[in-house]
Amino acid sequence: MNKQRGLSDKAFDKLNTFFVFLIVIVIIYPLIFVISASISDPAAVSSGEMWLWPVDITFEGFKLVFNNDAIWLGYRNTIFYTILGTIIHLVILLPCAYALSRKEMMAKKLILWFILFTMLFNGGLIPTYLVIKSLGMVDTIWAIVIPNVVGAWSILVARAFFQQSIPDQLVEASKIDGASDFYIFRKIVLPLSLPIIAVMALFHAVSLWNQYFTALIYLSDSNLYPLQLILREILIVNEIGGEGMEGGAGLAESLVNQVKTAGLVKYAVIIVSSLPLLIVYPFLQRFFVKGVLIGSVKE
Amino acid sequence: MKLNKLFLLFVTTIFLVLAACSDDESKENSEEAAKKAEENLTESGLPIVEEPISLHFMAGKAPTTASDYNEVTVWKKYQDMTNIEIEWEMMPKEGLEEKRNLALASGSYPDVFYTGYMPNNDLIKYGEQGVFLKLNDLIEEHMPNLTKILEEYPDIKKGITFPDGNIYALPTIYDPEFPSLLIGSKPWIREDWLEQLGMEIPETTDEFYEYLKAVKETDLNENGEADEIPFGGTSIGGLRQFLAGSFGINHNGRQHLYTDIDPESKEMRFFPISDNYKELLEYMNKLYSEGLIHESIYTIDATQSYALGSEGLYGGAVVTSAETTYGTEAGGNFVGMLPLEGPDGHRKYTDIGSPLAHMGGFVVTNANENVAATLRWMDYFYSDEGTKLFFMGVEGETYEEKEDGTIDYVDEIKNNPDGLTLEQALKDHITWLGGGYPGIVKEDFFKGAESYPSSLEAAEKLEPYIIEEILPKFTYTQDESKRMAALSADIEKYVDEMQDKFITGNISFSEWDKYVKTIKDMGLEEYMEIEKAAYERYLSN
Amino acid sequence: MRQKKAGGNPAIKKNRLHLTKKNFLKSWQLYVFLLPALTYFIIFHYIPMYGVQIAFKDFYATEGILGSPWAGFDHFTRFFDSYYFWRLLKNTLIINLYQLLLFPLPIIFALMLNELRNGPFKKWSQTLTYAPHFISVVVVVGMLVAFLDPITGLLNHVIMALGGESVPFLTDPDWFRHIYVWSGEWQSLGWGTIIYLAALAGVNPELHEAAKVDGATRLQRIMNINIPSILPTIVVLFILNIGKFMSIGFEKVLLMQNTLNSETSDIIQTFVYQTGLLEGQYSFAAAIGLFDSVINIILLVTINQIARKTSENSLW
Repeated sequence: MNKQRGLSDKAFDKLNTFFVFLIVIVIIYPLIFVISASISDPAAVSSGEMWLWPVDITFEGFKLVFNNDAIWLGYRNTIFYTILGTIIHLVILLPCAYALSRKEMMAKKLILWFILFTMLFNGGLIPTYLVIKSLGMVDTIWAIVIPNVVGAWSILVARAFFQQSIPDQLVEASKIDGASDFYIFRKIVLPLSLPIIAVMALFHAVSLWNQYFTALIYLSDSNLYPLQLILREILIVNEIGGEGMEGGAGLAESLVNQVKTAGLVKYAVIIVSSLPLLIVYPFLQRFFVKGVLIGSVKE
Repeated sequence: MKLNKLFLLFVTTIFLVLAACSDDESKENSEEAAKKAEENLTESGLPIVEEPISLHFMAGKAPTTASDYNEVTVWKKYQDMTNIEIEWEMMPKEGLEEKRNLALASGSYPDVFYTGYMPNNDLIKYGEQGVFLKLNDLIEEHMPNLTKILEEYPDIKKGITFPDGNIYALPTIYDPEFPSLLIGSKPWIREDWLEQLGMEIPETTDEFYEYLKAVKETDLNENGEADEIPFGGTSIGGLRQFLAGSFGINHNGRQHLYTDIDPESKEMRFFPISDNYKELLEYMNKLYSEGLIHESIYTIDATQSYALGSEGLYGGAVVTSAETTYGTEAGGNFVGMLPLEGPDGHRKYTDIGSPLAHMGGFVVTNANENVAATLRWMDYFYSDEGTKLFFMGVEGETYEEKEDGTIDYVDEIKNNPDGLTLEQALKDHITWLGGGYPGIVKEDFFKGAESYPSSLEAAEKLEPYIIEEILPKFTYTQDESKRMAALSADIEKYVDEMQDKFITGNISFSEWDKYVKTIKDMGLEEYMEIEKAAYERYLSN
Repeated sequence: MRQKKAGGNPAIKKNRLHLTKKNFLKSWQLYVFLLPALTYFIIFHYIPMYGVQIAFKDFYATEGILGSPWAGFDHFTRFFDSYYFWRLLKNTLIINLYQLLLFPLPIIFALMLNELRNGPFKKWSQTLTYAPHFISVVVVVGMLVAFLDPITGLLNHVIMALGGESVPFLTDPDWFRHIYVWSGEWQSLGWGTIIYLAALAGVNPELHEAAKVDGATRLQRIMNINIPSILPTIVVLFILNIGKFMSIGFEKVLLMQNTLNSETSDIIQTFVYQTGLLEGQYSFAAAIGLFDSVINIILLVTINQIARKTSENSLW
């Protein structure tokens, strides 16, 4: 019996690896395409001549992106916003989600609805702006970091995770030993929840990293602009021109160049903006392992 | 549950605390300030004020312009000339609509919305409320240059007047003597291919068809492949617009793509249900189904189209200037086309806009305490001298006058030592790139694709055929524009969709009657009533 | 895991019957945990909530939301009376349902990744499949256009080489949904697994040890241990997904749309965007947003009710 199991497990392993491999191949293709396209002649890209490896290699796209001095400032700002925002996110999210996962929490349903409601209805841009303005946050980093710092979605998902992975007995036992909720949260719950903390941090960090609309609305000081806003500007500058342009808006000489570079910049911008997040991901993966304490809990 | 109450208490407390925090601002009475402002004005000309004043402008910022207008050569120069300092607050074009609304909603709006693309609907809405100032008399009083233009071209004045008889914004005017700009996109054809085929420039729709067919069937670039594309581009709209005049529709220009004044009956008609329009679609269907229009025209992106054009594969196109769009090499082979004579003898050129390009580029609000100075500030840009400053900058610094009297940017800008493109080099000096600005655009001072020699030449060919009555966009009352928003969302959308389905043959012409009936059922009668009322108002303005 | 314990400890059950003030005082710290989040929601979500009423008003920026004149149900009837209303509703619903059908894919893929024994391969597959998430929709649609072009597209080259006829993928209404949904899945599959992988990391290894001793195969252990363990997460994510049912990222639809495929590609969000552009109709957009929210809330409550009845897992 054991032998049979060993055999079928081996077959399973092989098949599984094979299928994952197939999926990876399918998904990796657009990545290679984007990288190749960012250094290929844009005409070759759009005509379908470039379909895998770069054709007529040119680094014009990256040059154009990095020629803009503001981009480094943008990187700095975005990194700062992302780190600060993610920390605040976790500080607000985790205690709340944990508290809502506890059985002894009362009025839970009401509070859950209170939170969920915000996912379904919102007052719209103008009233939100007025609140943020009256708090003096306009044109400060707080306008980027604080609105949308936490959402119903992450609270409910984190709560489900706590419910699943924090054994009640453990909390009960610690309480009997005289531990306070603060203590339990810090010393027991958090160490056991590294995977969800990593996931929530990642999700929020990515959304902060990619957001531009908030910055567009709340910031007018260009020294505070995040990377995405600067990249969008480069992108749009290079998209103007061509056949669909508004009359009386552009110079004759630069149209040709713009259309040429537009394609390049489009792909280069993707790489410039997402590379840091791709580099960070493998470091987060190590948190996707079991919390250290879980093995020690015995019934 | 007790806890529920506790929770509600907590919620209300926070509400109350926050409500108490919000504070009111009151504006000080400004009668005295108004008097002072008046005394500060100079008699006329420049400078505008004795003691320096400052105005708050919110400006729509195109990505091609500098991020701080205070550092731009033109504005620095103009400040010295006028004694008026502008505090520029920038609104990136992408978030323009939101920023405008937020400024108005929060009560801290500027003295002027500049290049703000204020829609007509907002102009009348906030104009009627008195938030945007009524400019009728003020223009006459303080803006001699604009007044002169409006007297010379009464159509422009008619166009900028709202149904309540008021003017709420200063216009962007394309000089009526600069047809290349008014026309914008022009029809082009390959001169070398015509020669190779032994054909003359097509004069009729049939000849045009023959040419396209010949391009399709001949290996004109001699590469052994049938890769020639008889007609290409990024949208079918250009071709439809070009051909409209050959089928006797669209008699009032580009701002009126669904209605026109029937030249025979002098009545307004909704031409997408006319037989003429059907004939046009049948003709285009013939072209499309025989592969004479690029099959990918509905999905192609600008880069791809550019690539095809610059490889010299297009036999015909509708663009502002073939040379600037497809490069001087491939584009140089193109020459402007003539309007075609249609099967019923119609031959007009209809794809042209009104000199009143748009409104909403310059709106003065009631927060402004120096209205007279503000209008005089703007009026300069309706004069030749001001236009020159606005588009070309400062003589010696950014442009120079050549011996033959023409002007051009200085060499340092055109061939920038730091390797900047012309556009990047100009960024620090001028702000018109990107459009939307109020003022007047003149051929002599405008260095766009529209003033390219070949483009001017192409426009010249079209000139004799241009329709007589080019109407600007109509203005509507608030109720009308509410109804129009609903009606046009159905009717115009349906017309556009069906147009392409008929052209591509996705729907056969046997469905035509059903198509006409559907449009009528959508409320065409009401749509036409509103349009007619707007037209009559326009005439009587 | 949760199910296992729910019936396990009668002492807890008994305790819950005696929820008293004493209990509240005993766990007051838990309520402190809630304060930052609740304060945030009140300030940044509930105070601005009065803005919802603009759907029933004609928006005048200068009058503010409270001062704008009432319009009743004008904006709603305008939407419902539109010739395109049913088409918009139908297209929006179908695309969402289609997307919902693919909901299990990231779960399956996460289970597969979780079973990989080769460390580096596991790590690389995760990182690589996660990366497409960062490609902007503009570029994705650009790639689609390049691949699917009727003349120069790679796919049509292949089809024609195999003796088939070129397919107008981009303009044929029948193809729009497939292309939209599957290109989205292509992009988000790896990203979608992250949360399940985290949940799988929380599965008690002792359960696997015990099952191994009992002679369970890998597949059996996946079915009987892994899936039940992450079921609460799955259910919560599914319900939350339903709560966002009516919202489709419209930017991509807009980029893929043309007059020829609008029969299937015209959705509520693109309609709002296009008609909104015309006149800057803040109120109209708000009214349609409210309509979507109401549908979402109905779906959410219904699905939660079903989930509670059929399994122990639900949002509340």
